[in-house]
Amino acid sequence: MTPITLIALLIGVPAFLLLTYVFIHGSAGLRHYILTRVGLTLPMVFILATLVFFVMRVLPGDPVSSALGPKGTPEMLARIRTQLGLNDPLIVQYSRFLGDMVTLHFGNSLMGGHRPIVDEMSERFPATLELVIPASIFALVIGIWGGTLAASRRKRATDYALRIYSVIIYSLPIFWLGLMLQLLFGVQLNILPISGRIDPVIGTTIKHITNLYAVDALITGNWPAFGSVAQHLVLPTITLGLILSGVFVRMTRINVIETLQADYIAAARARGIREHVLVFGHALKNAMIPVITLIGLQVAILLAGAVLTETVFSWPGMGSYLVERISSRDYTAVQSVITVFALLVALISLAVDVVYSLVDPRVRY
Amino acid sequence: MKSQKWFLLTSFLIMASMILGACGQVTPTAAPTTAPLQTEAPVATEAPTEAPTEAPAGTPADTIIIGTTDKIASFDPADAYSARDWELIKNINEGLLKWKPGTSDELMPALAAGMPEISADGLTYTFTLRDGIKFGDGADLTAQIYADSINRLLTVGPTCPNGVADALATPYLASVEAPDSKTIVFTLKAPVAYFLQILASATYTPANPNNFPADKCELFPAAPIYGTGPWFISQYTQGEQIVLEPNPYYTGTLPAQVKRIIVRDFADPQTEALAIQNGEIDIAWRFLGPELFAQLQSVAGITASTINGGSIRYLILNHTKAPADDPNVVKAIASAVDRNEIADTVFGGQVNPIYSMVPPGFLGASESFDTMYASPNLDKAKEYLAASGYTEANPLQLEMWYPPEHYGAATAAWMQVIQKQMEATGAIKVTLQSQEWSTYVAALTGGEAYAVGVLGWFYDYPDPSNYLDPFVYNGGLGTNVSLAKEGTDYGEPINDKAQQLLDLMTQADIETDLTKRADLYKQVQDIYADLVVTVPLFLNPEYMVFRDNIHGSDHYATPETLNIAGTIEFNYSTLTKTP
Repeated sequence: MTPITLIALLIGVPAFLLLTYVFIHGSAGLRHYILTRVGLTLPMVFILATLVFFVMRVLPGDPVSSALGPKGTPEMLARIRTQLGLNDPLIVQYSRFLGDMVTLHFGNSLMGGHRPIVDEMSERFPATLELVIPASIFALVIGIWGGTLAASRRKRATDYALRIYSVIIYSLPIFWLGLMLQLLFGVQLNILPISGRIDPVIGTTIKHITNLYAVDALITGNWPAFGSVAQHLVLPTITLGLILSGVFVRMTRINVIETLQADYIAAARARGIREHVLVFGHALKNAMIPVITLIGLQVAILLAGAVLTETVFSWPGMGSYLVERISSRDYTAVQSVITVFALLVALISLAVDVVYSLVDPRVRY
Repeated sequence: MKSQKWFLLTSFLIMASMILGACGQVTPTAAPTTAPLQTEAPVATEAPTEAPTEAPAGTPADTIIIGTTDKIASFDPADAYSARDWELIKNINEGLLKWKPGTSDELMPALAAGMPEISADGLTYTFTLRDGIKFGDGADLTAQIYADSINRLLTVGPTCPNGVADALATPYLASVEAPDSKTIVFTLKAPVAYFLQILASATYTPANPNNFPADKCELFPAAPIYGTGPWFISQYTQGEQIVLEPNPYYTGTLPAQVKRIIVRDFADPQTEALAIQNGEIDIAWRFLGPELFAQLQSVAGITASTINGGSIRYLILNHTKAPADDPNVVKAIASAVDRNEIADTVFGGQVNPIYSMVPPGFLGASESFDTMYASPNLDKAKEYLAASGYTEANPLQLEMWYPPEHYGAATAAWMQVIQKQMEATGAIKVTLQSQEWSTYVAALTGGEAYAVGVLGWFYDYPDPSNYLDPFVYNGGLGTNVSLAKEGTDYGEPINDKAQQLLDLMTQADIETDLTKRADLYKQVQDIYADLVVTVPLFLNPEYMVFRDNIHGSDHYATPETLNIAGTIEFNYSTLTKTP
């Protein structure tokens, strides 16, 4: 079993169980909604994949001349194009692409080692996942805590400070923030690593099971590797998490403020319930509903690759992979990755909507 | 309250992870189980320096970590054709000959017991293998295995995905045979003056049959990957790192000096530069740009040096497309360009101007463009332009194309300098156009789209022919001065001078007398400059930055650049590390 299959199972099985549970125990309207969404997802992904396939081929340049550069003679270019099937009629290439998608084989990359895309994704996707999960948690912790605090101290110094923070942090260029953190903690203080997923020497001891290095280290009890992975995660997590936290602060703040103005909060306050219990125990819970939507969408987008963060920290994830392959016109890699992510975003979006219905009983489908 | 608890818990987890990490400096697992014991290894015949015993700060004492942004494309000698691939292959493998470390003009025997016997007609090269050569997995290397490997290059090579490595064999070889277990005989289709240089390339290293099947390419065989060189690849993770350990059966002249070399991939040269500053890596190798290199020069504890390798930048002129089809126009361009200004203003003097496509130090290299045009010579440029009717009142409209990222971020800056130089004639109006690499190169090399553009060149084998042949006749496939013509090796020359150029070059390709050959190339370069086939600009240096506890070998030349010379051959075996 490849790591990507393992991860797909780890994500897919719980998602499937959740949907099944909701499908069985939910209302008829919800069941209809889920069926409709699933039914719409497949044609949506098909249309997107088709668009990507043809747009890539409309663009000038091709993977073979890009790879060979000035050393590529017309004879070599023609020979390699034929070997890679790029001289086949477009309809033949398109049929092959669809076949590869349906069988989840995805084909082989057109550049470098011409490796199977599924192998390359097996290496790159876990790296992105390993970065996105802690960064999202970090962003949520800062964002929800900061937003709630700002709301509870509305129009006071803390509120103004957090609002300014949220605007500034969200508008900071992520590569600049990453570079500053690298210079401070990596070069000046020299207490944190600035690149890669794991120390290169310790990395030789890790057993690749899921390619989520933290998980692999835990499974095998390789504590030094786990520690090294955690260390390497600190700066990219903070960089990505801080940038994301800005929008969460603002979203949480506005929703908590609205909730705090509700009648039931006034009633609770009149009964003498302490303010922090009101805010964190009652208002926050209800204010979280729109935030959940935002979380789902943000995580889905990040799974497609936190391009700049990955580049700054030489993090070998999906973002840097996709950028590299687009510039090399690696048709197979680009169309496969985009199709997979379209599927992923659609599924996460569906899952968020379903969770929404569970969290908020007022939501009816 | 709950969110406060979460915040505290997360902070605690991060701190705990950092503490765990700080405690986590462990010794990694040893070589794969298939590797034989070190005690079985034969003693090396020549050990340049002693291995260090104490650990420096940063990386472990027995390990050297090399950072690079260059990408790996193949480990298969029948397929590999990039500098990064060849560097790795030549560290895990040796061919019959190799370049002496620190030199770019001195070949020495590697797998061969000595230099070959060459027949009087220059068609047969006979080598004898050294005794006791084994691959890293303990398998013997026989002459038959070597011959099979080269025949695999001829038969399987053209079907490989990268598909160009056999270009170093197919045009030259009639046959490769092993009459006995020690003797290898190459028979050529025609005499080739630079065949020994070609033999020293990674393409002519033997592919281990246990890693590389006889009937197909295997770009990334499962590790461990064993060759006949001083190292073997014990493990690799694509996009992250490649781990090399000493080949216990190595009997050559360059045995490994440290326990492990790790070659780490970086996505961004800026990160690579920071990594050498904070000690995450010991060596920052290709590709640091001139700006990062300048920054690192002032960092304490780091040695930063440049190597003038074989990588050049040049203007390509499409002689079949206006206005570059006008001899006066191309001569005006050659007269107006000021290479020193580019070197000084854009690169802070760190690149060397060149006045021939053949870089200085190569056989027969001359400075024909300087002799002929003494550029910058604006008066002469104006004369050429006026002869074709271009004046200040009627300036030549010239589009110049370049790829903004492929040759580094400085490309735009030096193209702007060239634009200013051309416009200083008063009779040229330049429009700069940029296009991303994959589009640009297809349009430029297709010969249809642009009249003037910029390209780089890095040799396949270090010989003047490789800096001239591809631009003049290119195997009959068409160049600026020779139109493609099916069934010919040299195409159809566009004029008499081009014909003369071709004639001289074909003589030089087979001339084995070095003095006569050098003379021929001097004539070739003069005609090349007169035709302005291309305009050579500067030699692009390689930037080598390493921590002060990393050393090259004093037994070989240029230890200050870790024994890397113009061939850009990086022998990891000459490296040592001190506390």
